Amino acid sequence: MYTVSGGIIKERFPYRWSSCGTSVTESIPFYHAYPGSRCLAIGTASCNFRCRYCSNAYIAKEDPEIQQDRMYHLTPRELVSMAKKLNCRSIVFNVNEPTVSIPSLLEVAQEAKAAAIPVGCLTNGYTTAESTELLASIFSFFNVSLKGLSPGFNRTYIGIPSSGPVLRNIRRLAQDRHVEVTTPIIRGANDSEIDKIADFLAGIDPEIPWHVFRLLPEDEMKGAEYPNIQAIDTALQSARKKLPYIYFHNFVGSEWVNTLCPACGSVVIERFSLGCGGDKLNRVLCEDNRCPGCGQKIKLLSEKNNSEHAKEVH
Amino acid sequence: MSITIVDARGWQNTLDLKTGEKIEIASPAVEMVKGVLQRHPYPGDMDFGSNRWVTDTAIDLIESYKPHFAFLTYAAQYFSGRYTPMTSDARARMISDAFIEVERFMSISGFAAIVVGTGDMTPLLGFVDVTGLDGLAVCTHWTARYAGLYGPSPDDMEVLREHPHIEKIVSREELVSLFDGTPEQALRAPEHLMLAREGYAFKTISGAMKTPARIPSLNFNVPLYSPGHTVEAITGIRRALEEDLSEKNVALIVLEGVGLDDFLWPHSSCRNSRQWYYYEPGEAQYLTISSGEHRFLDYPTGYKYFDEGDATRNYPFSGYFKSIPQGAFASAFPGKSIAVGNKSMFMHMVAGADICVECFARNLYNQGTMAVIHREDKYGQHG
Repeated sequence: MYTVSGGIIKERFPYRWSSCGTSVTESIPFYHAYPGSRCLAIGTASCNFRCRYCSNAYIAKEDPEIQQDRMYHLTPRELVSMAKKLNCRSIVFNVNEPTVSIPSLLEVAQEAKAAAIPVGCLTNGYTTAESTELLASIFSFFNVSLKGLSPGFNRTYIGIPSSGPVLRNIRRLAQDRHVEVTTPIIRGANDSEIDKIADFLAGIDPEIPWHVFRLLPEDEMKGAEYPNIQAIDTALQSARKKLPYIYFHNFVGSEWVNTLCPACGSVVIERFSLGCGGDKLNRVLCEDNRCPGCGQKIKLLSEKNNSEHAKEVH
Repeated sequence: MSITIVDARGWQNTLDLKTGEKIEIASPAVEMVKGVLQRHPYPGDMDFGSNRWVTDTAIDLIESYKPHFAFLTYAAQYFSGRYTPMTSDARARMISDAFIEVERFMSISGFAAIVVGTGDMTPLLGFVDVTGLDGLAVCTHWTARYAGLYGPSPDDMEVLREHPHIEKIVSREELVSLFDGTPEQALRAPEHLMLAREGYAFKTISGAMKTPARIPSLNFNVPLYSPGHTVEAITGIRRALEEDLSEKNVALIVLEGVGLDDFLWPHSSCRNSRQWYYYEPGEAQYLTISSGEHRFLDYPTGYKYFDEGDATRNYPFSGYFKSIPQGAFASAFPGKSIAVGNKSMFMHMVAGADICVECFARNLYNQGTMAVIHREDKYGQHG
């Protein structure tokens, strides 16, 4: 987070990381970015939301000051060096909200660019237009958490007045960045918004991958009933007609984690769902980003289109 | 084929353990196990009811399956002790509660028991931060004493050898030789293994989670309750089980995070080590108890687990395991067997039991439960 000193906004704890470890992109989750590749997953501390069900409250809600003992101290150069040492294809910011650590992340992005390592993030997307441009300059792939649409839901569960900025920023980022979207479903709170969210995403780009999470309530909502899987699956039926890449997971053994060809319905990517950030790739059947059955192009961020993207952006 | 049934609370799926692929199967054994999972939702690693879940689930399985051997793990006191600061009185109460659960299991089931504690825990004094090396240090956040080391520079070695909280650095050759390892096993062993002093834990990449309040002590010996047997080392527990099982139904019960000072029943001090190495709670310790042989080298602490994850997709729901380990006790036991545990998703690999039920929690996040049926053919058999 930040502090103001002499009229200047400064990052309170630059180069301090709450997490830094190897992962696979599916576990972040990114299902359409560098499938099966290893990434260096990093995070800092704090957040600009106060979600009642937060699963990382000990990082996102605790004062960063008291977390410093357990933090990693790595400069952006050391971080990128670590990613190279571990043969990571990318660096992904997850765990908390990148907006709270923009100066450090700008430096990480510079170092990563020099090493030709793409950088992605999970974000709640609740940023000003200006900050969103900063994020777009840092990250080439995003998973934006669109938690709900109604003001009532956002006030009660997230602590914000409106999802308006999030919707605006998804629209903006999807213009020239790889965007996936995640929505945690809370029974009785936002499960009635599934179709509206699908309509919103389809209006931007029907090929946006949408991760529908079965929420595992933690923090203030620990002990709340787990959402009913069958009921959510049923509620997703009509949304699946609008968005070909809908994934329903965050629970062990989910059978809704494979990518199906939007044209012929063949399985083109198979995954395992271990829930809670443990998803894994099984196999990719569309090696050239095309369905082996009908030839339909499958939307994937891969080595090839990333280098093209890098030329355009930088 | 080993059948996996996952239960994510209110929803179940049936999979092939090896491939992870969905299978359609309806058999009396599968239906029985599905019912057990449905009746016993897991309360969570840090929940006080977690140990009760082990007893209740085991009793339900015993009533339905009628095994002669049960392999149980009670781990609530380990997880809570590790991550929740608590007074010594509170810790003593928690351990006492674990013993009460064991008594309850024995009383209801009528099984005799051999009970082993995995070792005491000690307050965390600090971290040995090895993230800034030229080389690469590797361990998980569940490890304290050990970390693997790869490609260290001369500067790294100088710093590490002078570090006040590092006790020793062992070469791969020495490590493999200690356990009479094969050349194939040597490939998985780290180039060096670093040992921290008591109370200190290594901080490596992929290591940070919640800061532990307590970590495993230097448990060169662990407590063992084995009436009628003299067992010097954890590798000898298997023999005691074999002898008892020829006469009666027996449970091997593992009490996580309980050491010599806290063990409430009459016990002997049982060697949990080989020379300078001792087992921390985890797969290797369980496999060693279960097989009667030192099994450190199967998945040695500090190995590059992430490299193997890339190499094979087999057993996607079995943690580090890439194959079913040979020699697990119950796999050779001719009678019926079950395993129930709330430690991790490895009971189905280390116990070798016909039917295993375990919690499915990842980094303390409760996903539900998982059962594995290795021996569907024994269902319905007598004796």
